[in-house]
Amino acid sequence: MLELKLDELTFDKCLKCNACVSSCPVANTTLEFGGPKHLGPELKRLMNNQGIIDDKRIEFCTLCGSCDMSCPENVHVTTLTAFAKAIHSDKSGTKFRDFVLSNAEWVGKLASAFAPVTNFAMGMKPVRKVMEIVMDIPAERQFPKYRFHNFNRVYKKKTASTERKVAYFAGCYATFNAPEVAMSFIKVMEHNGIEVVKPDQKCCGVPMFANGQMKQGLKNANHNITSFLEYTRQGYDVVLTCTSCTLAFKKEYVSFLNTEEAKELASHVYDADEYLRLLKESGELNMNFAPMKVRAGYYAPCHMKAQGIGNPAMDILELIPGYEIQDVGAGCCGQCGTFGFKTEKYDVSMAIGRPMAEAVKEVDADYTVTECGMCKNQLDQLTDKTVKHPMQIVAESYERAKVLS
Amino acid sequence: MYDVVVIGQGLSGMLSAIWAKEHGYRTALVATGSGKIMQSTGVLDLIPGADGGLKEWSELYQLAAIEQSQLTGAMEQFKILTKRLGYPYKGDIEHLVPIVMGSGHIKETALYPETISPIKEHGQVVIVGFDEVIDFQPAYIKGNLQKARPQLSIATIEISLGKQSQRTMTQLDAARLLDKKENLDYCIKQIKQQMTVREISQPDLFIFPASLGVENWKYTLEQFTKELGAIVTEAPGMPPNTTAIRLHERLKKEAVKLGVRFYVDTTVVGCKMDRAGIESLTIKTSNHTTDISGKQFILATGGILGGGLEVTSDGVKETALELDADENGNIIHCPENLYPVGASRGFSVTHNGITGGVYSVLSSHEMVDKLHQQAIIGGIRSA
Repeated sequence: MLELKLDELTFDKCLKCNACVSSCPVANTTLEFGGPKHLGPELKRLMNNQGIIDDKRIEFCTLCGSCDMSCPENVHVTTLTAFAKAIHSDKSGTKFRDFVLSNAEWVGKLASAFAPVTNFAMGMKPVRKVMEIVMDIPAERQFPKYRFHNFNRVYKKKTASTERKVAYFAGCYATFNAPEVAMSFIKVMEHNGIEVVKPDQKCCGVPMFANGQMKQGLKNANHNITSFLEYTRQGYDVVLTCTSCTLAFKKEYVSFLNTEEAKELASHVYDADEYLRLLKESGELNMNFAPMKVRAGYYAPCHMKAQGIGNPAMDILELIPGYEIQDVGAGCCGQCGTFGFKTEKYDVSMAIGRPMAEAVKEVDADYTVTECGMCKNQLDQLTDKTVKHPMQIVAESYERAKVLS
Repeated sequence: MYDVVVIGQGLSGMLSAIWAKEHGYRTALVATGSGKIMQSTGVLDLIPGADGGLKEWSELYQLAAIEQSQLTGAMEQFKILTKRLGYPYKGDIEHLVPIVMGSGHIKETALYPETISPIKEHGQVVIVGFDEVIDFQPAYIKGNLQKARPQLSIATIEISLGKQSQRTMTQLDAARLLDKKENLDYCIKQIKQQMTVREISQPDLFIFPASLGVENWKYTLEQFTKELGAIVTEAPGMPPNTTAIRLHERLKKEAVKLGVRFYVDTTVVGCKMDRAGIESLTIKTSNHTTDISGKQFILATGGILGGGLEVTSDGVKETALELDADENGNIIHCPENLYPVGASRGFSVTHNGITGGVYSVLSSHEMVDKLHQQAIIGGIRSA
């Protein structure tokens, strides 16, 4: 059985104040979910006294981290719910669909290898109907497109010789679905005289944790930690463009593994915009931005908020002359990684997403900016605005400035 | 990096951040949890847990120095803000009103949302509870209310929200259900039925838990009032009170939309000082310790209940910046660019451990004003 290695005292600080339940996007949408308080600290307390309990209601937890952000006592609720998920799939088994969804990386490898066919098939109604029947993946749910020229095929650099060096973790989404995000990031770094390498890497594990595949997730975590520590020990900074992967590197690896290595790596990890902001603060950022006359709306992913870093994407984009950006002030998107791809969660996913769509509509900007690929998937389905990653915009401004000069 | 950094996102912190941002300052807010509005009743008292008007309040809180115009200005600003956010507050600090709480006790309050109405001395009232919400017990409320208001004629009704739940339902869960018309209609129908069957005479007031809708509270309130033909009030009790959640969610959204930068799930573990005062805050996120630099800082960490002050065997400790505090919780040698607001101002402004919403509004408003004046003077000096 899985052992929870975190400081056992942490959940004891829970005062049952309900701040987590009041802030939980799922609990606020459906009464089917037991809620973070009950399935987090309360369940853990009960298990410590009575033995392992398998609670099916944990399936509704998306690991968005809203509970962690809301807790006035600093209880790591998601660490507890992630382990409750692991217990549930250990005891009750894992649906084939959840197993597939949790393996975003090999799905990505396969789907992108046959990309034109995959995308075509995924767009066909009869295929989707079969998927709904066989896999419990709703036919109406839009899927991100897969790319044959995925990032693994086009970028293989392993060593850098510049003063600042970046070890980039691309994540499954930028690798298989949006290599343009990864390439934009590399371009942005180039404009700052920083070489980027891509160390050997596996899926960050977030989809596995979310589907109770804790063992596999931790295996990936240990693989990534070993691989990236080799670089940080040579003076590389670890930078990521996906907020969920970033949160895994910064927080979940440490919470779940509680090893010195995980802690060591976490102290070198930055979100891409956070890294640019750091360069700005130390006077190293290339400020040669071409003006852009844009009024953008920003959608903040839960896993960005959970990092406790303010709003670095907006801080950076506001440096571009003429660029106006406003946070639309929305909560969770409801896609929540693999959650929104499940038939029995689909209605909840859509219900959570609707206020977000309203918020985007209310601000009515030229387009929406967000870092998270899965939030983008939901934004694509629920709004009529184009969605861009901040790195694409920064790269564009740099590139234009280069042409102008 | 920031002009103003606020520590804490309770009522004081949130208002300070919004008002600082409205002055055009680059503002950040650092917070550990979601703030204590979540645990509050959402009504703003003068002296929490005690009666007493403006005179007693100013004596107790040592407010002699505060000018009337400042007080009026702060309350006006709060009302303007909540109105803009679609959740207007009414009432005034000179004329407190009695309201009924979720325990059946009566307290006097100064500012309250439109979902709350004062309770009268006599007349007929009906307390409505939901079977699923166990925190609100009409019979128990009736007992306490009857003691406080012997001349009231009180009836109780219990109805069902008609929904199965996988968790113990709170007032907030009921409120989210009542945001939907079909649930609202279902409840109204049951109340009417019970009124007829049990021959309860038409009351002047219906008392509900703090559950009258979240997003659509206005419609919910109107429907109940119209269909039941009487005034309807919420009686806030055990958190989460929807009265408070509405305020919290709207203030937060406003602050985010204005561009306040939120550093949540972080803990302030100290600060770096220079000759001018605080230079930066040291904050701990999950696995990083970083600095946030700013020109001016607002301390809104609350008193003992909020976690900003801690009573230890060595005396009172200020927990965030680890500054020295006296036995009254006042910071000794407060840095020039640090502005404590609300309960962070020591025990002289807390009663039963909390400050009372009105003082939070007043001190946030006053401090942002002061900080603004300082910034102007500073600007002239450095020009």
